[in-house]
Amino acid sequence: MLQKEIANEVIFEALSLGADFCDLFIEKNQLQNISMNSSKIKDIKTGVDFGIGVRLIYGDKALYGYTNSSEKIDLINLTRKLAEQYKSKVNIENTLKFNTKIPKEIAFLQDSEKKLSEKILKFRELDSKIRQESNLINQVNINLTQRKQAIEIFDSEGLHIEDFRPYCRFSATAIAKDGSEQATGSWSPGARGGYEFVEGLDLDWISNYTVSQALTTLKAKPCPAGNMPVVIDNGFGGVIFHEACGHSLETTSVEKKASVFWDKKGELIANEALSAVDDGTIDNLWGSISIDDEGMETQKTQLIKDGILTNFLSDRMGEIKTNHPRTGSARRESYKYAPASRMRNTFIEPGKYSLEELLESMGDGLYAKSMGGGSVNPGTGEFNFAVQEGYLVKNGKLTDAVKGATLIGKGEEIMKNISMVGNNLDYAAGVCGSVSGGVPVTVGQPALKVDEILVGGKA
Amino acid sequence: MKTDLKNKCEKLLGYAKKYGATNSDVILSRGDSFSLTSQNGDIDKYKVSGSQVVGVRVIKDSKVGISYSESMDDESLEFTAKSALENAENSEENLFESEMFNCGDQIFKSEFEKDSSSTQDKIDLCLKLESEVKKRDSRIDVVPYNGYSESNGESYYLNSKGTFSYNSEYYQSCYTSALLKVGDKNGMHYHGSIGRNLKDLDLDSCIDESIVHASQWLEASPLKTGNYDIIFTTDSLSQILGLFSNIFSGKGAMEKNNPFAEKLNTKIAGEALSIMDIPDYENAFFKSYVDSEGLKHKKLSLIKDGVLSSFYHNSVTAKYFGVESTAHASRGAKSSLGVGGTTKVVLAGKDSDSSVKASEYFEVHTLQGLHSGANVVSGDFSFAASGYLCKDGVRNQPVKGVTVSGNFHKLLLDINILGDKIHSTSDNSFFSPLIRFEKMSVAGV
Repeated sequence: MLQKEIANEVIFEALSLGADFCDLFIEKNQLQNISMNSSKIKDIKTGVDFGIGVRLIYGDKALYGYTNSSEKIDLINLTRKLAEQYKSKVNIENTLKFNTKIPKEIAFLQDSEKKLSEKILKFRELDSKIRQESNLINQVNINLTQRKQAIEIFDSEGLHIEDFRPYCRFSATAIAKDGSEQATGSWSPGARGGYEFVEGLDLDWISNYTVSQALTTLKAKPCPAGNMPVVIDNGFGGVIFHEACGHSLETTSVEKKASVFWDKKGELIANEALSAVDDGTIDNLWGSISIDDEGMETQKTQLIKDGILTNFLSDRMGEIKTNHPRTGSARRESYKYAPASRMRNTFIEPGKYSLEELLESMGDGLYAKSMGGGSVNPGTGEFNFAVQEGYLVKNGKLTDAVKGATLIGKGEEIMKNISMVGNNLDYAAGVCGSVSGGVPVTVGQPALKVDEILVGGKA
Repeated sequence: MKTDLKNKCEKLLGYAKKYGATNSDVILSRGDSFSLTSQNGDIDKYKVSGSQVVGVRVIKDSKVGISYSESMDDESLEFTAKSALENAENSEENLFESEMFNCGDQIFKSEFEKDSSSTQDKIDLCLKLESEVKKRDSRIDVVPYNGYSESNGESYYLNSKGTFSYNSEYYQSCYTSALLKVGDKNGMHYHGSIGRNLKDLDLDSCIDESIVHASQWLEASPLKTGNYDIIFTTDSLSQILGLFSNIFSGKGAMEKNNPFAEKLNTKIAGEALSIMDIPDYENAFFKSYVDSEGLKHKKLSLIKDGVLSSFYHNSVTAKYFGVESTAHASRGAKSSLGVGGTTKVVLAGKDSDSSVKASEYFEVHTLQGLHSGANVVSGDFSFAASGYLCKDGVRNQPVKGVTVSGNFHKLLLDINILGDKIHSTSDNSFFSPLIRFEKMSVAGV
């Protein structure tokens, strides 16, 4: 996308101004979004994003700028502007030669080149199925976003690499209404891939799932508040690890000591039943990447093994500031952000128990079948996340459906309170927002039993 | 204002017409920004940016299509127009999205422009924030978030009926934080300030607020689970009202995503509550003059004496409901036509601040989990919260590790106690008297 000669001259300019390192991130994004509401196609939107990010590193300072222009003069001017405060004249010869690398590709689902009209037929089919499930369904919203991201990276160590990343996210929401009460049920899967992903979805399952969740929540009682044991089911339940621990293992937090785990490598930080990984190499998964946004091939990183903290997620700046080696985890939403260490596909590894065994061992408590999102303050470790569909458990058996529950606590405590790990590992797609913007991530886990956690609900 | 950017918009309108659009409008946004962060007494991140994007909305045969591009060469503009028309062809007939208006030329150039302060002045400010926080309290281990930023943006709106409107905006902001650690206990808080030039930025409040609350929350404990009267700070009240603001959306009502779609002119709140949308509210930091269809903004009563008095409307929702647009169309270069508010103002009540704060109440200062802990359709919410247990206006116990739960729709109906003095959020974007919410569920120990 960018001529090698221009990349060479821009990087040489940065090095001539005394930068220790320089990289260029060139991005072109093609987006298509289709949405349906009230059984009609509401919007069809397409667009093209294009921009170039320039990063200069002086010691442990990162200087970052971006522009929509690929003209040499604009990129040189941006580089000079960035270096304004820190430049030192260095007499060097331009010996930079780019070595083009072909990354080992992580597989993705193909784009089946369906026409818009064929995609719209799929929408109609699902809309009809959801509405047929119950006459309490008052509205159905369906959305499809396909993004084709092409990136190219040049750096002052001679790296030149390109990658193509297709993303496909589908979502369906059913709104049930009974008198003045309303409730929603939703499902938002995503994949590294094209439209082939949507063609593989089971529309009967989606309609049944979303309607069942909406109707259950419609009838649900307010969740009682207090400390209690909780079983969190698989898939999006993995948001608990993502929030309570994952963010605190990114060097972005560790370098500032704004992480409760910054000095705990090699120590027992979780129950011995728990092992967790962040793995960017899984075929077709939403958070997978062949290379990270610094051009490094991604990898599988063991974060916790039998409760012991084994690794952090690190990028180039993280390595400079913390000495934790890079893990292929540099990520960013777009060229508008400097890369930062971020999660990819993060999950707790499966244990040996069935869901039934977890529930039986709990006695009385809460079963969180489906989770919403959450957030964390890495500095204090205080996190929260919402239960989308939950049930009270009495003597190991599910009883009433409950709504309005939030689980809160501290990362250090909750990791030690996970006492049993199930055998039904599953994944779910999400978008994680942090210092380098919103990036596609997968959360995952088998069902877990937490011995005690504060459940926010009705007092 | 740049003539070449206006020309790009005109060219895009021309391409839309060439490919058969009956009506079309174009939004072009351009901006540049500069930001700094510091760590351990030195600048660690320095960012300079410039970007632009243009988007077109076309109407042909009562069908609507949208497309955008960040490249603005002729070829890209032509491709963008063609793509929008192709998208329209595949859309369904939409008899409500048909109108565009001729509002003439409307230029609203910001009276605030880049000040003369140097980059070094800004670096000094950023470093001073961090060093002052560290100096104040020996228990401060790190200042994790500390920075300065400035933003300069402009937007152009043109439509095929002859409207041209232009807006520009410039502002600066800074923030800092304090993270205190003693043994296993920790407390953290963050505070920011916004202004038009460097001397407007209130460094003292950033430093003081960060340290005061972080040190209080170091010693904080959860409340006993139960029902408490709650007073939200204006900042946290603004967050909650913002989260559930789809109750005012005409688009949400049209699309059956607004739970109050059928409640217009009915009682939805306590009689003491009235809320206005005032685009040129005197004390607001940002003022709005025209909406995204080129119509001049005007004041709007949303809730009057507890009754839902209007939704926000654009031309589409207005046509659907058979009313006039309230001039609250909202659209970015990359998005479809929606509705959006400007400055919301909760009108003053009759109670003095001291009577609102009488006896015991929980002052909620910070909320966590806003994006996940609420269902905007059912109104149910449950947020992690920190603040102070107070009595007669005096903060007696710092509180954290609790959740505040309820249903927003029921909460509105229970509002009876409103102060007689208007307070603002720290960025002057929302205005409200103190409101006392009685007997809300708090989960703690």
